[in-house]
Amino acid sequence: MKDNLLWVEKYRPKKIADVLGNEEAKAAFVDWLKNKRRVKKAVLLHGPPGVGKTALVNAAANDFGFTLIEMNASDTRNEKAINKIAGPATSFVALDKFSTESKGNLLFMDEVDGIAGNEDRGGVSAILKIVDASQVPVIMAANNPDVEKLRPLKKVSALIRFQPVRIPLIIAMLRRICQKEHVEAEFEALERIAQNSRGDVRSAINDLQSLAETTRVLTLQDTMALSYRNRDISMDETLRTYFSAKSLLEASILLSRSSVDYDDLLLSVSDNLPRRYADVGELAEAFDLISQADVFRGRIGTENWHLLKYFYNYLAEAAAVSTETYKPFELISPPIRIITLFWTKGKRTTLEGICAKIGQRCHVSRATAKNDFVPFLKIALERQKSSPLASWFKLEPEEVEFLAKMNKF
Amino acid sequence: MVVLNKKAFRLPRVEREKFILLLRLGLEYNREQGTFCVGNYNNIEKLIDVLSEILNVDKVTFLQTCILCGKDFPCQNCTYQEMCATRNLPFHCVCPQCLKEGKSFQEQL
Repeated sequence: MKDNLLWVEKYRPKKIADVLGNEEAKAAFVDWLKNKRRVKKAVLLHGPPGVGKTALVNAAANDFGFTLIEMNASDTRNEKAINKIAGPATSFVALDKFSTESKGNLLFMDEVDGIAGNEDRGGVSAILKIVDASQVPVIMAANNPDVEKLRPLKKVSALIRFQPVRIPLIIAMLRRICQKEHVEAEFEALERIAQNSRGDVRSAINDLQSLAETTRVLTLQDTMALSYRNRDISMDETLRTYFSAKSLLEASILLSRSSVDYDDLLLSVSDNLPRRYADVGELAEAFDLISQADVFRGRIGTENWHLLKYFYNYLAEAAAVSTETYKPFELISPPIRIITLFWTKGKRTTLEGICAKIGQRCHVSRATAKNDFVPFLKIALERQKSSPLASWFKLEPEEVEFLAKMNKF
Repeated sequence: MVVLNKKAFRLPRVEREKFILLLRLGLEYNREQGTFCVGNYNNIEKLIDVLSEILNVDKVTFLQTCILCGKDFPCQNCTYQEMCATRNLPFHCVCPQCLKEGKSFQEQL
């Protein structure tokens, strides 16, 4: 297992001093965190991915003994969800304060620029309320702070900018990792990896590990296959590379790079597995690993992000059940469940409308209308479309038609 | 081009408005010594534009501090200057000498 450990995890900064580069940003953040009479209750760390924003927050929590309450981009971050998680975290002291040396909570909301759409409705205003009422430091991180919806958050936050890490710094760090891992590397090879990373430390370490896996003496020639990094690996590309991975490590590195939604990825992998493995035994083994990954996804919930590595590990293992048997195939993407939800959206909306009318007329909830009224109404309308019930419920002719023909509810 | 030391540098006398602008952009002024230093780095690009205008030069850069040996050094001798997207900030880097000698981080990892 030790051999399969990702170097980005192995060499993850544990102290503030370990975070590479951005010395001024680090100093500004520590000053803000230490200041008990801070003017702005929140801080917004912004900068490109892989430059150490999240690493700095984790390292600072570790150094100063804070309990980190984290909300990640993959969580639903609407008003209700934010209040549920962040509300108690910002108003109460950490429970472990009495048993450990915790100095209290530190609320961290990563990738706040990703709060978008209907799913995250009310998210920004909820954060604003949390910041206003908070008794603990509130930290936010964003890749792009110029997003219009972040404007109110910027007003109440101290802004700290992170820059891409410079090439000489990355080279010096890669050199150190090579020493630790007993990998010999030409300077030019490390230079090329560093240049290719474009200031993204995480991707530089991943590149080094993937190249060092095949050889213990890394030359410039070995790095020629590196292409300029595509920062947003799409779901399709993620799945294609995932299923064609030649080793467990390759699959692990890909998963750590991809930014696709964890739940969508799990569904997509699950849907495509029967196309990947023709052998029933292999398929069963892969599904078993996927189910383990699903168990860990459930345990992660919205706060136990330290378990993410197990989720990724099981998912990567599912891709590497039998690497020799891979043959290219047509991917199912997006997941069948999402496609089904998309196609049935119209029907679900119509049914919701009918349930609302029933609920209003009979003074019951929509759920009660759906479960207790609709089945009987459907039978009545199947027998007689012009039933007085239809006019009593004020149903439109299309709604009557829909109910009469509906197969499932 | 002018290379400034971020810890303390002098500027010719400027108008009141310009002085206020410099302070707003993140410079700090030491009255006793009559020197400026960079206190806030969030508006570094704008600050450099204003400094270039005041000093009447096409380019202003700051000395970098090597995080391996602690020496201050200018960016001119760096081979990665052309592809460096962050020439002005941060003010810490690895000097060409340390890079050439193959020094790596001892504390960092």
